[in-house]
Amino acid sequence: MPTVRKIWKFVSSMRFAIILLAALAAACSVASLVTQGQDYAWYAQRYSDRTAALILALGLDDAFHSGWFILINGFLCLNLLLCSVSRLPRLIERTRAEADPKAALRGEGGVRAEGVADPKAAFARLRMGKPVETATEDGRRALFASKNRIGLWGAWVCHVGILLLIAGFSLGQATQKQYAVYGAPGQAKAIGDTGYVLAIDDFRIALREDDTVEQYTADITVTGPDGRSEGAEISVNNPAALFGMKFYQNSTGWAATVRVAEGGEPLQEAILCAGEYLRVADKPDLVIDFNAFYPDYVQSAGSMPATATGQLNNPAYLYSVYYLEQMIGMNVLMEGEKLTIDDYTVTFSEPQPYTLIQIKADRFTGLALLGGLITTLGLLLAFYVQPAKAWAVQEADGRWTLRGESRKGGALFREAFLRAAGAEKDKS
Amino acid sequence: MLQAENTLFTIVMLIYFAAMILYFAFIAARREGVAKAAVALQAAGFLLHTAALVCRGIGAGRLPLTNQYEFATSFAWGLCLVSLAFIFRYKFTVLGAFAAPVVFLIIGYAAMQSKEVRELMPALRSNWLGFHVSTAIIAYGAFGVSFVLSVIFLLRDRMKASGFLDQHIPDREKLDVISYRSVSLGLLFLTFTIVTGAIWAERAWGSYWSWDPKETWSLVTWIVYAAYLHLRIRRGWEGRAAAVFAAVGFLCVMFTYIGVNTFLPGVHSYA
Ligand code: HEM
Repeated sequence: MPTVRKIWKFVSSMRFAIILLAALAAACSVASLVTQGQDYAWYAQRYSDRTAALILALGLDDAFHSGWFILINGFLCLNLLLCSVSRLPRLIERTRAEADPKAALRGEGGVRAEGVADPKAAFARLRMGKPVETATEDGRRALFASKNRIGLWGAWVCHVGILLLIAGFSLGQATQKQYAVYGAPGQAKAIGDTGYVLAIDDFRIALREDDTVEQYTADITVTGPDGRSEGAEISVNNPAALFGMKFYQNSTGWAATVRVAEGGEPLQEAILCAGEYLRVADKPDLVIDFNAFYPDYVQSAGSMPATATGQLNNPAYLYSVYYLEQMIGMNVLMEGEKLTIDDYTVTFSEPQPYTLIQIKADRFTGLALLGGLITTLGLLLAFYVQPAKAWAVQEADGRWTLRGESRKGGALFREAFLRAAGAEKDKS
Repeated sequence: MLQAENTLFTIVMLIYFAAMILYFAFIAARREGVAKAAVALQAAGFLLHTAALVCRGIGAGRLPLTNQYEFATSFAWGLCLVSLAFIFRYKFTVLGAFAAPVVFLIIGYAAMQSKEVRELMPALRSNWLGFHVSTAIIAYGAFGVSFVLSVIFLLRDRMKASGFLDQHIPDREKLDVISYRSVSLGLLFLTFTIVTGAIWAERAWGSYWSWDPKETWSLVTWIVYAAYLHLRIRRGWEGRAAAVFAAVGFLCVMFTYIGVNTFLPGVHSYA
């Protein structure tokens, strides 16, 4: 056999499929043992310098996007594609042959029972449906029935589904865009570089009687570059699709209104989420950083600030102040307290939850879902729609020789067949 | 309701234990009557177990499928369901004798978990999650049965032929097909589990597959059983090799179930 043909045969073979599946299983299990996405220092501290170097050299720090992982999957797709293409003609031929009485009568395969009095009743016992009347080549009466031929397609449908699934997933990974926007009600922010603006109209936290969170809900409005806008209510497990992007209520934190006054006169006011900072309007080198918020502040000597509950019983704000990039102070400010820096006074007030909204655009999610559903359908066909056929030939004594075949049914089909044939043997 | 569940759970555990002893007695004494009693007892235990799960569901006001205790007791229930189905469908009582200790082990594991009913965080309040976990229970139950069948297959190979063996344990070929049936049931339901899990993750977290260790290990399990299906149709690999493979598959199932939560980090670790 020429080398090219040999390679083609191997690449489209089931043996190669098994090797690839084994490689994929091994790759996934090894990768799951290594915490993903860390850097050299992290691995070196966790394991050893040598192991860390090995992890990075093998790409195990980001195994599921590494060259070798993609290579295995690429070969798997090639394997599935070639196998699906090359098996298609044979599959069509087999589906045709499965319903062909002549082919069955000519063949020698299958289980066999002789001396059957009433073959039609045996067919009924096997739930083979109504047999067709036909004749052997030498002119004897014959009956034939086949069922569940569509089941022959199970494996093929499953394989095509897997191909679509991998295609949808890979295309999605390669092209998807993700953004995150957070803010308190009343704020509007740009969604990355898309040109769209996300306004948070309202944000609610529903609590149960025991103070655990039942649901987070945000009302949002998205406005496009052309001024058109669409609104939606989103909550955890209930995202909304607007302008081809999907919006997810992801998490929450605290925001507060920060007011700066100069010489007693209001200078500026802004809503800051914990973690954000503000530059003083007429003195940009002076920066107020809102580090953290404690809704129910407790301070025990020497320990870090903490909150006793999630309730707004004793709000406190941790801030730090920078001037010319140098920290000049850090402390906790209670509600109503004033921070004084030279001529400026700063207050924190009106604490409110802000929402973190995740935005995702993946045009291939539908393809992956379709692939998953087709895979499932293929498995259903392969496992639960088992093709079978049965045929009978009348012998000289008027009794019938019954034969049947079901490749998938194996020993179970043979047993059911012999039981059905046996039951129709003794009657006359 | 939760009190009733507690009582029922204890009774169910005792019944499963008694059924296991009866099954052993059947094998030791080789008496048909004992076998019938064992199956009847297991079926009774199963009905009470169902009642216990219903009580917990009503008591907690949701599907009882969200923490380690609930999943463990449901797993035992699923294994009991699938093994009873196979016992009746294939008239294969000895299967019960090998399944009973596994059911008892799993329900014993459940008994060691905290039974506290906790409110669900918002991400867990989803119908998709209900489908996700209930299909997982059937998948795990079916894989448990395929594991038991593999053990029977491998033991049968080592035992000398005897009347009892031939009467109560199907021949190699038939065992192989029954094992194939259990793996295919499991794989179909594992596929449902993964697909519904992906749909839920997409709605809850915005990403339907993120290579979290539990996801990765369910994929490994899926691949191992897919490999089993392919090996089985290759000449020379059916029978013994396939049985060993199906047993390895179940080790993957158990690792996905218990090992991942214990040894590896991930979003599923609250489950
Ligand atoms: C990677 C490339 C793969 C190739 C080349 C391949 C090839 C094959 C072949 C040649 C068959 C025999 C079909 C028949 O006898 O009708 C088969 C059956 C099957 N394959 Fe694959 N396969 C691959 C991957 C997979 C994967 C990942 C799955 C996942 C579950 C899968 C599921 C099945 C099923 C369910 C059957 C039918 C088995 C049965 O009904 O006993 N295949 N495959």
